[in-house]
Amino acid sequence: MIKNRKIILDRRHITEQMMLLLMRLSALSILAILLFILYTIANKGLKSLSWEMIFSLPEGGYYLGGSGGIANAIAGSLIMIAGSASIAILLSLPIAFCINFILKKEGWFSGLARFSMDILFGIPSIVYGAFGFLIMIWLGLQASLLGGIIAVAFLILPIMVRAIDEVVMVVPHDLKESLQSLGATRYEMMKVILRSILPGVGSAIMLAIGRGIGDAATVLFTAGYTDSIPSNLTDPAATLPLAIFFQLSSPMEEVQDRAYAAALILTIIVLIISLLTRQLTRRIK
Amino acid sequence: MVLIAITLLFNIKPAVCQQKINGKITISGAFALYPMMIKWAEEFKKVQPGIKIDVSAGGAGKGITDALGGMVDIGMVSRDIYPEEVKKGAFAIPVARDAVVCVISESNPALKEVLAKGITAQVAAKIWISGDYRSWAEAFRIKQQIPLHVYTRSDACGAAEVWAKYIGGKQEDLTGSGVFGDPGLALAVKRDKVGIGFNNIGYAYDQKTRRQISGIRVIPIDINKNGKVDPEEQFYETMDDLTEAIAEGKYPAPPARDLYLVTKGKPTNPAATAFIKWILTDGQKYVKSTGYINLAKTKVEAAIKKL
Amino acid sequence: MLISRKIKDTLATRLMVIITSGAILFFLAIGLVLFIKGIPVMKSHSLIELLTTSNWRPMKGQFGFLTFIVSTLLVTLLALIISFPLAILSSIYLSEYSDYRAKKLFMPVIDLLSGIPPVIYGVWGTLTLIPFISETLAPHFVDFSTGYSLLAGGIVLAVMILPLMISIFLEIMESTPQDLREASLSLGATKWETTLKVVLRKSKAGILAGVVLAISRAFGETIAVMMVCGNFTAMPKSLFDACYPLPALIANNYGEMMSMPDYESALMLAGFILFIIIIFFNTLSWFILKRIKKGQ
Repeated sequence: MIKNRKIILDRRHITEQMMLLLMRLSALSILAILLFILYTIANKGLKSLSWEMIFSLPEGGYYLGGSGGIANAIAGSLIMIAGSASIAILLSLPIAFCINFILKKEGWFSGLARFSMDILFGIPSIVYGAFGFLIMIWLGLQASLLGGIIAVAFLILPIMVRAIDEVVMVVPHDLKESLQSLGATRYEMMKVILRSILPGVGSAIMLAIGRGIGDAATVLFTAGYTDSIPSNLTDPAATLPLAIFFQLSSPMEEVQDRAYAAALILTIIVLIISLLTRQLTRRIK
Repeated sequence: MVLIAITLLFNIKPAVCQQKINGKITISGAFALYPMMIKWAEEFKKVQPGIKIDVSAGGAGKGITDALGGMVDIGMVSRDIYPEEVKKGAFAIPVARDAVVCVISESNPALKEVLAKGITAQVAAKIWISGDYRSWAEAFRIKQQIPLHVYTRSDACGAAEVWAKYIGGKQEDLTGSGVFGDPGLALAVKRDKVGIGFNNIGYAYDQKTRRQISGIRVIPIDINKNGKVDPEEQFYETMDDLTEAIAEGKYPAPPARDLYLVTKGKPTNPAATAFIKWILTDGQKYVKSTGYINLAKTKVEAAIKKL
Repeated sequence: MLISRKIKDTLATRLMVIITSGAILFFLAIGLVLFIKGIPVMKSHSLIELLTTSNWRPMKGQFGFLTFIVSTLLVTLLALIISFPLAILSSIYLSEYSDYRAKKLFMPVIDLLSGIPPVIYGVWGTLTLIPFISETLAPHFVDFSTGYSLLAGGIVLAVMILPLMISIFLEIMESTPQDLREASLSLGATKWETTLKVVLRKSKAGILAGVVLAISRAFGETIAVMMVCGNFTAMPKSLFDACYPLPALIANNYGEMMSMPDYESALMLAGFILFIIIIFFNTLSWFILKRIKKGQ
């Protein structure tokens, strides 16, 4: 009988060891893929990266080999994402909180809201770009910073709502209950809860920003392009993904190489934003 | 008195020509016209420093859409304008010419033979439209049995449309792996030693060296269809040789074509009108050095009248 | 004081409900606009012809969407097959087996992967995957392949949806109460059995939600896939054939649509078809989720 037990134990343990090996392999391969991608981009990009590239505006024939940099695209992207993210935050916090605290938990309204956001999440960015384009024609707007801000806001809203929703859903019941028992109104309760989940909200915002800043299809038809930094909402704005796209489309190989440097810059910007957001939310807490 | 009047008259005329305008112009569209437009914008700035010009590429389709949608002032289009677009208000001005060339990889095992044979519209049709030719032997009557990889443009663009026109179809009839963008196609052909594709001149030749870019070679068109490339058909060594041949009409058109600027209706932005007028007059002298071909004088005059 | 608090509360909650309703209306508006713009092409062609043929010749007035629909579904399926095992195994590892150091190392990796702009994945795919598939992989299986293929699209998409799935899976699994695990272990189960029968069981709903979200993301990815999939309008017959998913169709041709009225309508219809596919998948998952929740 003891012998039988030992065999069973071994088989289970073998399964476990096998699975453990597989798991380690998966984790490692994911790490390897990331490193591979980064290496490919950095390899091609570092060669052309320079301070000039980050801080100067492009000269006339920049996409044909001229001198200058992509400061216009960097500034344009940052200004645009700031605008879109602000709109998205202002809208997604109320929506996520509304779904979780105001509407009935299993009610049709909250279900419909979640459903809508899930669908919107999956709509390809080109459709948002096209939609933004149609609205702009309808409003008589020319390709501009404002158009880009609207289109990107459309894109990142469902991402932000979904991510914040995830965070709000796991708020422990006792917090809610204790607040309510203290006589707080729903609004006051939500303020307190917001404070407590700030890091989660922070990472949600950061996720949405990462997606929004790197997307070319939304801005292709709505934001236009320019060699200068936009000075008001009706100016066309250059964006990093389009800068990368146009540089890749250039006939000169040295300009194509610069595209990788621009890609590197974009990735670094996203990293910096995510680090900053983490720090900020930690501090507020 | 008469002398003073005459001098005054002569002083007024140039002043009117160089009247300083302030304004902005936004331009977008074909990759094919992009290098030329950049050059024009640069030179025009010297004449009219108060006008701000923003140029972006994105393809001929984008140029038309943006122009007709009122998103930009001028759209760059590298193909003929369709009647439906004219109905929507497209007002087109031809400004230069360029061409599409057929390209293969420099590492093609049968390179010399193929380059000596040349390509005809009929052969190209069998490669791109019907897909009948699947090997280099069939297409070019050489001995080596090597498969033929066909490439085309996935994005709706002037280059594919005009190449298709040359071989008897429309862009949608072209088969092959669709790659996005001109440089994308060139890269695909460069990498695939048995690949065949097509590019705008600007993307097949290096602007600085005026020679074909490394990695790809242009297949000459066998114009008299005698099965080989005669010395008179051999003008692909440098960009300038090729552009001259196109200007002289030696290179067939299509795939040589006119490049257009499109506005919605007659241009109302005074800066845009001034720019287009300048392109059709002083601007024409920069065309050749940038690697394009001048329009026939008659076409230019007709265009100016249109404005 | 009490009254002003109440007023604030009412105002705030009313406003939030309005905003949420606005969001739902936006969702309906997009669907409606896509549908309305898609009507002209539906009027001039039968729905069956549009959905079941694969002839795409807009200039001749032929619009067969089958290739695009099938490509979209196939490339997403492929991406799931590749990435789901990796995602679930790594998440299990990180939440159940590894120490906090591994997680500390891994989380930034995931953040980085999700922060990389899609166009970079496309570029990476063009640089590394295409030659690899064309020169190294394909010769074993088919006569030739240019590398621009269903497989390339699937791999690129898989890498893009990996971080999304991992972050959701991890969160779900970590929220399983520790006492459940301890109870199972104390009953003599191995760690793996605990994981399988307790943690995963409890997390089924969340995992499904994560998969559906990843599917949505995969359907919607435009740029990266467009750069590697081959954009060819014939039906892909093997992994190494080119494919042409719906978002790539819209992106490639959106510029031209002003030219032919039916063309614009057809592209909008493509968008609408995608919209319907996403609704279908989400509804399906909603039903499955309900089942799971009932069972728990």
